Amino acid sequence: MKIYIYQLFERFWHWMQVLLIFALAITGLEIHGFYELLGYRNAVLVHDFSAWSFVVLVVFAIFWHFTTGEWRQYIPSTKLVKEQVEYYITGIFKGADHPTNKLVYNKFNPLQRLIYLGLKIMVIPVVGVTGMAYMYLNYPNQGMQLESLDLVAGLHTAGAYFLIVFIIAHVYLTTTGHKPLSAIKAMITGWEEVDEKSARAMVVNEMEVALKMTRARLKTEENKSELLDKALAETEEKLGVKKEEKFRDVVANSGAGYFRINRKGVYEEVNKAWANLYKFNSPEEVVGKHYSLSRSPEEFEELEITFNKVLKGETIPHGEVTRVCQDGSVGHHTVTMTPAIHDNEIVGVEGFILDTTARLLAEKELLENKIRLEQLLAEKGLK
Amino acid sequence: MKKFIYLVLIVFFPCQLLIASEAEDTDDQKAIKLVNYVRKADRVEKKVVDHSKFPALQQEFARPQDVTLACLSCHTERHTEIMSNNHWTWDRYEKLDGRGEVSVGKRNILNNFCIGTSSNRETCTRCHIGYGWKDESFDFSEKENIDCLVCHDKSGIYKKEPGKAGYPFEGINLNVVAQSVGTPGRANCGVCHFWGGGGNNVKHGDLEEAMNDCSTKIDVHMGTNGEDMSCVECHLTENHNITGKLYALSSENKNRITCSQCHTEEPHADALLNKHGYRIACQTCHIPYYAKANSTKMWWDWSTAGRLDENGQPMHESDADGNHNYLSIKGSFVWDQNVKPEYFWFNGLADHQLITDTIKEIPVQMNKLDGAYSDKGSNCKTAGCSKIWPVKVHRGKQPYDVVNKNLVQVKTYAKNKGEGAYWQDFDWEESIQAGMDYVGLPYSGQFDFVETEMYWPLNHQVSSADKSLKCIDCHTRSEDGRLASLNDFYMPGRDSFAWLDNIGIILIVLSFVGVVIHGGLRIVLRKNCLHDN
Repeated sequence: MKIYIYQLFERFWHWMQVLLIFALAITGLEIHGFYELLGYRNAVLVHDFSAWSFVVLVVFAIFWHFTTGEWRQYIPSTKLVKEQVEYYITGIFKGADHPTNKLVYNKFNPLQRLIYLGLKIMVIPVVGVTGMAYMYLNYPNQGMQLESLDLVAGLHTAGAYFLIVFIIAHVYLTTTGHKPLSAIKAMITGWEEVDEKSARAMVVNEMEVALKMTRARLKTEENKSELLDKALAETEEKLGVKKEEKFRDVVANSGAGYFRINRKGVYEEVNKAWANLYKFNSPEEVVGKHYSLSRSPEEFEELEITFNKVLKGETIPHGEVTRVCQDGSVGHHTVTMTPAIHDNEIVGVEGFILDTTARLLAEKELLENKIRLEQLLAEKGLK
Repeated sequence: MKKFIYLVLIVFFPCQLLIASEAEDTDDQKAIKLVNYVRKADRVEKKVVDHSKFPALQQEFARPQDVTLACLSCHTERHTEIMSNNHWTWDRYEKLDGRGEVSVGKRNILNNFCIGTSSNRETCTRCHIGYGWKDESFDFSEKENIDCLVCHDKSGIYKKEPGKAGYPFEGINLNVVAQSVGTPGRANCGVCHFWGGGGNNVKHGDLEEAMNDCSTKIDVHMGTNGEDMSCVECHLTENHNITGKLYALSSENKNRITCSQCHTEEPHADALLNKHGYRIACQTCHIPYYAKANSTKMWWDWSTAGRLDENGQPMHESDADGNHNYLSIKGSFVWDQNVKPEYFWFNGLADHQLITDTIKEIPVQMNKLDGAYSDKGSNCKTAGCSKIWPVKVHRGKQPYDVVNKNLVQVKTYAKNKGEGAYWQDFDWEESIQAGMDYVGLPYSGQFDFVETEMYWPLNHQVSSADKSLKCIDCHTRSEDGRLASLNDFYMPGRDSFAWLDNIGIILIVLSFVGVVIHGGLRIVLRKNCLHDN
């Protein structure tokens, strides 16, 4: 399964860095006196040009990171660092799962975060600043004074060695993805092949984020259906599902329940997850039945109103509802309903549901604990 | 794809601008940037004076002094100018560290060629612009003793006679000479400046007879197939005050000629090369070799002098190129051609080993050039700070006073035997005594030979740009690098920190080994590594 991880600028940035760092390394080592390749003068000219190009690229990259909020990807975290290291040392040989999932909102593992951040705030600035000093303060009797180039040269060289070592490790570690080449392909096309479990986790994560954002906006905005459409569209775009695969298929693999009801109110399709949430043994048991089975009679009235609105073309986030399962027990989920369209005509209603029973139970428990705690505190006269 | 191209353009457009702004004027630079100079081809030259028409120069001249008086009858006050010129006084008072203002002129200073002019005036003053300086009785205030002709003769027939204290050969038609006068040409300057030290190109290495008529391969400025510049086109002269000097006979940073007086401080189209000019003299790159036409003397060992042939007569031996490598009167020599200069930091100041100075280091440095990498910025001793200069180093052995620990003056020249001159009697004891008596300094009676070095910063025999040094000539780890021995500073391409390089290389190797081991294990254990799907 493929998901869209790297945006155009990100890929461009990455490959320009590859090009420039290679040019800088090859010419830099020549300037350092290791070999003769381009000729000293050309090596210096290419090195200086590449260095300035790199500076420009960095300026654009900084701008991009802050406007897109992508800088958050580099907030360091010690969580799971140990697990990640252990994975590379032992787990990878045993076929263990990656300890972290790649998500659009969190595309680096904690080890990557630390190392990339180190590169961005330590190595690149040191190499850059010493490089500029090399270029412009190399005859230190003009303007600013440097006692000599020793220190500048030493730091610059040290930074270069560090970068070379980083690149060796970095290139090698790209082969540890889902398949050996999937990370490199992703950096070229933007689409990364991931295993199903990661993809599912990601879809759910994306939808939750989208729904949360929508909820927050619904409180203030009026045109609700438009906003929801937009949120869904954003999710789809971020995941790339629209381009690559049918929304339904993604949802089918996501753990979210999917359903489609025709104009008469009869289930035409539900997925396994839906059937599981309603405690049916298989989707077949549901298909052909009327959708009133999903609610208690009182709540069905409300659903019917929504259903009719959707048939008129609105997309409606229903928020949290209570479902009635086959065995009569109840559960909780959020539901979003959207018109099912075929040949430009609304032929019914489709949507997905996300189970919130566990969360509600947890919230309930939390509340109970809170009450109990307050009681205890009150008894002890602490309040 | 379109988007990608836009991105490339947007990100690299500023870079292009930057590079373009640094490389502006590139096309104009095909023509060399010049100021304060009009090319020969663009000049209109008219002869406005014809000295042959002056009656004063048509009279019969009994003595060469009469020519001088004839000159001064029109150029009435010119003698005052020339009489304060070093070419007349052979004195140059300049400050030396710890010794105040002393004369470092030709009259007193020692070198490691013929050692010194004192006690040998009669022959040395063949290169004095005067008549009759054979001993200290010479009257420097007598204007008729000025030799105008040696510098201004354009007939080519005027020559001073050896051992005649500056007088010309007898029988020269002085009317022809006097009527030919004009601006000094290279032959006028060259007769002394090419032949100093007793032979062609002995001293400078970059000034020699071949430059009377050479190609631009020998000297890009003087080449007669090129711009054909004469000496005074750079050594600009007004009121007989000739600019330029060399540190064999001077120590202060003044009255110098610079390349930039015509070529500007930023002669290159390439900013990076112009920046090199902050610390590197133009000469360093643009005079890659000297003594390009004829050999120059690199080594002069007085200690072997005095070997006579079976008849007790002085003799000479020559090397394969026909240069003397042994003379009984002077000792042994080493000559060399197309010589790579040695390189030194130099800030325009030089010290001198005076005859009165105690020898403190061996080899004795006759005219130590001042300068260091650290002589820069606010540390600068002179306006220009130290720059790297190409230098001819002339090494040799010459006599010194073992007890008093100072160099000695030697009387080398005399017309006859028995006057204590080394070249007649081959007796060191006596000739040193005679030399030291002449300058009025004590001599212990004990001498030996000591190694000396003399420094000649190079300025001539400039090569064309395409023959100049290339980056790699200095920026190299090779032992043959031009700056291999000038190591009081860090230079990219030559220098590195061995420990840092070692650590870096070890880290790189280790990471490769790590990759191979880790990757190898993954391949060996790949069954485990396959995921379920």
